[in-house]
Amino acid sequence: MNIRRQTAILLRRELRSELRAGEVSLVAIPFGAIAMLLVPMAVGTDTPLLVRIGPGIFWSVVLLFGVVVTQRQTADVGGPQLDLLRLLGVDPAARFAATALAGAALLLAFELVVGLVTVVLYDPALDDPIWLAAILPAAAFGLAVVGTLAGNIAAGVGTRVTLAPLLVAPLAIPILLGAAQATEGLRLGESILAWLLLLVITDLVLAAAGVLTARPLEEAAP
Amino acid sequence: MPDGPLVELERVGVRRPGAVILRDLRLTVSAGEAVGVFGANGSGKTTLLRLVATLFPPSDGVGRVLGAALGEPGVEAVRRRIGFVGHQPALFPLLTLEENMLLVADLLGKPPGDARDALEAVGLGGAVHRRVSACSNGMKRRAEFARLLMTRPQLLLLDEAHVGLDAAAGVLVESLVSTVVGDGGAALVVSHETERITALVDRTVRVEAGTIEGAP
Amino acid sequence: MTRLRPLDLAAVGTLLTALATGLVVPPDAVQGDLQRIMYVHVPSAWLAYLSFGITLVASLTYLARRSMRWDRMAAASVEIGLVFTGLALATGMIWGKPVWGVWWTWDARLVLTAVMFFTYLGYLALRRGIDDPARRAGRSAVYGAIAVIQIPIVHFSVVWWRSLHQPPTVLRPDEPQMDAPLLFALLMAVFAFTVVYAALMRRRMDLEVLEQVRATEIEQPVAGAAVAPPRLGGVADV
Repeated sequence: MNIRRQTAILLRRELRSELRAGEVSLVAIPFGAIAMLLVPMAVGTDTPLLVRIGPGIFWSVVLLFGVVVTQRQTADVGGPQLDLLRLLGVDPAARFAATALAGAALLLAFELVVGLVTVVLYDPALDDPIWLAAILPAAAFGLAVVGTLAGNIAAGVGTRVTLAPLLVAPLAIPILLGAAQATEGLRLGESILAWLLLLVITDLVLAAAGVLTARPLEEAAP
Repeated sequence: MPDGPLVELERVGVRRPGAVILRDLRLTVSAGEAVGVFGANGSGKTTLLRLVATLFPPSDGVGRVLGAALGEPGVEAVRRRIGFVGHQPALFPLLTLEENMLLVADLLGKPPGDARDALEAVGLGGAVHRRVSACSNGMKRRAEFARLLMTRPQLLLLDEAHVGLDAAAGVLVESLVSTVVGDGGAALVVSHETERITALVDRTVRVEAGTIEGAP
Repeated sequence: MTRLRPLDLAAVGTLLTALATGLVVPPDAVQGDLQRIMYVHVPSAWLAYLSFGITLVASLTYLARRSMRWDRMAAASVEIGLVFTGLALATGMIWGKPVWGVWWTWDARLVLTAVMFFTYLGYLALRRGIDDPARRAGRSAVYGAIAVIQIPIVHFSVVWWRSLHQPPTVLRPDEPQMDAPLLFALLMAVFAFTVVYAALMRRRMDLEVLEQVRATEIEQPVAGAAVAPPRLGGVADV
C-alpha cells in the first residue's frame, strides 16, 4: 500500500476522532476568540490603533494558540495504538503527513472563526481580501507541519504539551512574518507576492524536514 | 515462510536507564509450536513479547523473528505477519468498534466486509457501532481478537491472554492459538493462568530475573 | 585536582591577553570607552553562530553514524552556545542603552540572536525530558538539525522585515569604522574566545564521558529483582 493511501486512511481517522473529541472546536477556537477580546483590555480601545494592530494580534494568536491545536490529544498517537500502526506496516512519513494535514484543516477552521472575530472587534481595512484565501491556508499548513514535527520530537516527554510550543516558536517565525507582513501589505495596498513566496518556501522546507525525520523519530522504547 | 525457527533469540539483553530488563536470554520457537511464558510481575515477560514483536532492537545479543534480524531495516517487512495483543488495547477510543476494524482492514487492503465478519465471529456483532471508550475491558479484548482473525498472523503474541475475557470468550484464545499453530505458525502466550495455558501449549518457559533458565 | 591541559592554558592565556589588549588600545573617537564592550559582544556573537554550526554538523553526523560522541559534541556545543548567546544579548543591550536610549531596537541581528537563544533553550529542555540516552540523542539531533537549517530562513525573513521598517540613517554601533589597533584588539578577542570555546567543549565532552563511564561501572540492577511475593497476615518480626 502506498504512502498516499495510508495518509488518506489515517487522515480520515484523525479528523473523525477530533470531530468527536471537540477539543479544537469547543476549546481551542473559543480560547483564540477570547484572546482577541482580551487584548484591547490591555492596550486600550482606541479604534485607529486597533484597526492598525488587529491583523498583527490575529496572527500572534494564531501562532501561539495554534500550537495548542497541533498538540491536540487526538494527534498524540502513542503506546499500543502506535505499536499497532507499526505492525500494520504504516510508513512513519504517512503518519506524519496525516497528522500534519489534519492539523492544517483544523488550523484553517481556527483561523476562519478567529478571523471573523477579529473583523468584528478590530475592523481591519484590507485591500483585496481575496488574497487571504492564499495566506490563511499557507500559514495553517506551515504551522501544522512545524507543530506536528515538534510533537513528534517531544513525543513521550512528560512536559510535551508545554515543551512543544517552546520548540515551535523560533521555527515558526518565518510563517508569522510571512503571514503578518502579507496581511499588512493588504492593509497598505502593497504587493504581497514576495511574502507569500516566503511562506510557501518555509512550508516546503519544514514539510520536507518532517517527512525525512519521521522514521528516525519513530523508535520505540522497551 | 522462513526456513528454520520462527523466533531465535541468542544471548539477548534489553537495558533501560537505571535497570536491566532482560539479560543473556535464549529462546527458540519453531514453526507449529506454541510456547507458554510465565513469570512474576516485573520479570520482563511483556518486554520479551514486545522485543519478539520487533518493536525495538535488543541492547545486546542477536535475534531473528520470521527470518528478519532484530534491529535491522528488513524487520519492517515481517511485521504484518505478527499478531500482537498487549496489556492495553490497541484501539482508538473515539472510534467505534467497527471503525477500528475498518481502519485495520483498509490498511491491510482487505474488503470492508471482513471487519464486520470478524466482529460477529467474536460475539460483538451487536456492538459494532459502540465507541471503544464506552466498551468494557472484555469487549475491547474481544475486539483485539477480531483484529487477529482479520490479519491471520503467522506469529501470534498474546500478553495476559485471558484477562477480561469471560468463560465463553476464553475459548477465543484456544481457538486462535490452535489455528495459527495448525497453519504452520507459532505462538507465544504470556499468562498467569498456569493450568489453562499449560494445557494449550507445547511447552512452557519461565522468565526470572530477566532471563530464561534451562534449554531455549 | 584536575590537571590543566595545554588547551586550557592557551584559553586562559589568550583570554587574558585579549582583555588586556582591549583595555589598553585607544578608545573609540565617537563612543569613547563604551566601545570597549565590543571586544566581548562581537566574539560572543561569533561563538553563538559557531556553536550553532557545530550543533548542526554534530547532529547530522550523529543521525548518519549513531555514535554517541557526536551527540555529546552537539549537546556540549548548545550548552556553551547558550551562555555566549546570552552574553551577546546582554552586552548588546548594555552597549545599546547609552547609545540608542533603549535596551532593544529590533535590529535584525539582535532579533536573530534572541531567536537562537530560545532555540538553544528548547533543545536543552527537550534533552532534560528524556532519560534514555539513545532516544535523547536521536530526538535532540533531529531538533538540532532542523533548528539550524531553519535559521537561514528565519534570518532572511527577519532581515527583510527590518529592512522595510529600518530608518535609512541609523548609527550602528556594531559596525564602526575601525582603525588598525582597534581592529587588532577585536580580532584578538575573537581568536581568544574561540580558543576558550574549544577548551570548554573539550572539558564538557570529557565530563560527559566520565558520567557515562560511571553509569556503566555501577552495576545496573535487574528490574524484576525488586519484586517479591506478597507477605500477608502478620506484622514483621521485631
